[in-house]
Amino acid sequence: MLDLLVIGAGLAGLSAALTAAEAGLNVRVIAKGLGALHWSAGTIDVLGYLPPSDAPAEQPLEQITELGQAHPYALCGAENVRAALAWFQSLIAEEGLSYIAAAGEANAWLPSPAGARRPAYLVPAAQFAGALDRPDPMLIVGLLGMRDFYPALIAENLGKQGVSARAQFISVSEITDRRDANTIHLAQAFEQPHRRRRFAEALARLVRPGERIGLPAILGLDDHAAVLSELQSVAGAPVFEIPTLPPSVPGARLYRALRSRLRRYGVRIEAGMEAINFAADGRLIRWVETETSARPLRHHAAAYLLATGGILGGGFSSDAAGRLWEVVFDLPLSAPPDRNQWFRSEFLDPRGQPIFQAGVEVDSGYRPVDATGQPVYDNLWAAGGLLAHADPLRERSLEGLSIAAGRGAALALTRSAARQPAHT
Amino acid sequence: MKRPTKRIDAEILVIGGGSTGTGVAWDAALRGFKVVLVEKRDLTHGTTGRYHGLLHSGGRYVVKDPQSAAECIHENRILRRTHAHCIEETGGFFVVTPEDEGDYPDRFKAACVELGLPCSEISPATALRREPLLNPRISRVFEVNDGAADSFLATHVTAQAAQLAGAQILTYHEVVDLLTDSVDGERRVTGAILRHMTAGDDIAVYADLVINAAGAWAGHIARMAGIDVRVIPGKGTMIAMNHRLVNTVVNRCKMPSDGDIIVPAHTVAVIGTTDEKVTDPEHLRIEPWEVQLMLQEGEKMVPGINRARVLRAWAGVRPLYQEGFSGDTRNATRALALLDHQSRDGVTGLLTITGGKWTTFRLMAEQTVDAACRQLGVQRPCTTSQTEVPGVEQGHYWLGHRLHEVEEHRLQGDLICECELVTRAMLEHAAAHNPTVTLDDLRRDVRLGMGPCQGGFCTYRAVGILHENAAAQEQNPRQDDHRLWNIAAMQSPAHPMTANRKTAAQTPAFEPNLLLRDFLQERWKGVTPILWGSQLKQERLDQLIYLSLMNANHLPDNDLSSPLTEFYRFTSVQDGEDPDAA
Repeated sequence: MLDLLVIGAGLAGLSAALTAAEAGLNVRVIAKGLGALHWSAGTIDVLGYLPPSDAPAEQPLEQITELGQAHPYALCGAENVRAALAWFQSLIAEEGLSYIAAAGEANAWLPSPAGARRPAYLVPAAQFAGALDRPDPMLIVGLLGMRDFYPALIAENLGKQGVSARAQFISVSEITDRRDANTIHLAQAFEQPHRRRRFAEALARLVRPGERIGLPAILGLDDHAAVLSELQSVAGAPVFEIPTLPPSVPGARLYRALRSRLRRYGVRIEAGMEAINFAADGRLIRWVETETSARPLRHHAAAYLLATGGILGGGFSSDAAGRLWEVVFDLPLSAPPDRNQWFRSEFLDPRGQPIFQAGVEVDSGYRPVDATGQPVYDNLWAAGGLLAHADPLRERSLEGLSIAAGRGAALALTRSAARQPAHT
Repeated sequence: MKRPTKRIDAEILVIGGGSTGTGVAWDAALRGFKVVLVEKRDLTHGTTGRYHGLLHSGGRYVVKDPQSAAECIHENRILRRTHAHCIEETGGFFVVTPEDEGDYPDRFKAACVELGLPCSEISPATALRREPLLNPRISRVFEVNDGAADSFLATHVTAQAAQLAGAQILTYHEVVDLLTDSVDGERRVTGAILRHMTAGDDIAVYADLVINAAGAWAGHIARMAGIDVRVIPGKGTMIAMNHRLVNTVVNRCKMPSDGDIIVPAHTVAVIGTTDEKVTDPEHLRIEPWEVQLMLQEGEKMVPGINRARVLRAWAGVRPLYQEGFSGDTRNATRALALLDHQSRDGVTGLLTITGGKWTTFRLMAEQTVDAACRQLGVQRPCTTSQTEVPGVEQGHYWLGHRLHEVEEHRLQGDLICECELVTRAMLEHAAAHNPTVTLDDLRRDVRLGMGPCQGGFCTYRAVGILHENAAAQEQNPRQDDHRLWNIAAMQSPAHPMTANRKTAAQTPAFEPNLLLRDFLQERWKGVTPILWGSQLKQERLDQLIYLSLMNANHLPDNDLSSPLTEFYRFTSVQDGEDPDAA
């Protein structure tokens, strides 16, 4: 019997699993797919823009309180968010991925793949030299033949915002012979020493003294640090990555680092296991069933943590009649009652779309509650993108919220387990 | 109004770049007239680009509207020859479901015989073998020669054929006034003032005859000459399903009504339509009940359809016309209406052609140009029924054509829209030969953004590519030569014409951030009525890409707008209530 079954392998689920494993719990992670990190830009965004005004958050940790009492960050508390981020930073560094608070307590501003200024709180070391407040001019280099990165567009938009940038190309054939390479294939191609040497030499021919070089975020997957350092030394210039369309290589690196960390604690991530059923005795969940290729499998645990990520992660489904439901436990959701109220008329409305605020309501201990505020199950916790009263993509708060709530929920359930030993 | 300095002289000025107007321009140019066609937006931006894509056999109207049916039967045969590559030979079924009681099937069968429409009754078992998703409870099935038509492609190749015959096509030019004068007390239309929608400058076009083929906007044009033409705008709402649920056109065998047709169109299936009288052809709102009705009715033909994924909803407006008609638009005739304003209103130099169906556009053009010849006092026979448009040598469209070419020539790495198999070269070719005011113009050319992700991945890529090419254009200006414009090549990933051309985009005042914002909003407008289930999840991924990753709402030039920006807005979502007001 497990101490904890975590459902969902995004940043919230993995943060929760690690926190619980560190506390000595016997943990398993199950997930339908590979987890939402493969979509992310790789940065840890804590709070970029404040709703409803869409004003930029310059001091994200301090300004968390401005989000109001219903927001899940209020549940975490600013000090716990800070502590969770410090915890994340140190453990991920031990796995060889360095994340930097690039602007101290403030947000760093980095180039987006469209050339907009993009706020981020913790920045992967590989994106650090792209900070837009540095004075050195940028050379943005694209791969001719790569469909997911447009350096001239980035350079022009940065130029319009007062950042000196120019664009150049190197043929994709310098790094791979594959005709249909996606970002992950390209990142793997950079791990071949002779190929990346050739690419680095081509960079050296393009760069002018004093420039820093921006490249698509494809500079290696497992051997990333070596790729970055070789490019910088051969080109003789700082090199930084700019995120690309998904699949995201920085996101994949983060996923791999967290997976490797979990393995040290003996925790496995079981991908391809979709939770399809469960059983409960009153307010106690007994087991969760997953679909596998052979036959349904039952997972028995003392505690369950739901981190399936809402609409995008697949934690919620919906239908034409305007019903929105939570797919594993059918938990009560806070949502606009009528489908006519789900959307605003503009795609980019700074206030966001009302439906994406929908989610699971939890008590102060991260347990999903019903309309009366009572926990639905005594051994179920929830964290991450499925929490109600936040729109993490609009606020640019997804990763901060996932780490803080994932860790917070795991700490809460660990304390609860210590008080009340698991049923055997 | 001050007369503009730019002036064009023509014999015939055609107003409207839909199927009817381009058909008229093609026909008139082939008969040797000097023709100018003007369209206020892109070709097919109006009703032609917003219909379900059915090439009518005529079966739908045999009982209710025999004149319209006879026109369809006649034209169906011709278009299969002249526009072969714009048509997929799907065939069509008229199915009798348990809901369709009464004697209609027998009347249908008799009317087909009477009108000479080839129709054979097949057993439900045979029909189910061919279309396994059909309702197994259907009792009778009639097979006819319906087809699926690509109205974007057909209109563009017809326009190209007109250009090759000497016509001049002016898109993104709006008619702001008709020029009129009076000779011996007789009022005469002598041309029109056009305004360039992006540059803003005006052109005076003088013509011996003006042909009003503005469709649902024809009344608006006629009013400029003081003539009252009451086009009855009948809004039809359609929805596209994520899969091609049937390979045959499926019609209910009953009096035409809402939601009784499923058309396999390229990779999707379209359910149509509603028919609602509206007042404004420009701003059409999709009501939730219309989407519900399409799914509910579709269910009777293909059970389970309302659990399938819906990609998009849109509406077009039929330019129906019936002298003195007032009533439900469903009962207005679908037959063509040619108004000679000389005999009708005592105004010479103006004809209005409206009504009709996409299937009958060539016939409408023939009759219109015949009338033009009479008014101009010349005799020149119509040749369109014997003239093939460019690209017809490709033969009929078949699903899998693009995939076949991509695999054959290993073009997987060149795809910039994986949903619809659009390569970079196809996009570049389209952009080089068509003015690109919005990415929607390229969507109509190559189906960019029409698949499941609704522009999630390809919007950014298309903007990036056009931006790269616009920079190249400054160094190497493009040459205008419509003989190089090969629209058939745009449909073919491996067409040598596409692969070899690296011409800069023809993009006036290129603003990449505006292109991006406009297209995201254009796609949003058509998905909000159907966002639930998997498509809602997909939309959230698109939000991740454009909000969290791109930060597209904080790009420079946020205040710029295009001639289409306003069109892509809708003041309300579904019910007209702001969510905040609730």
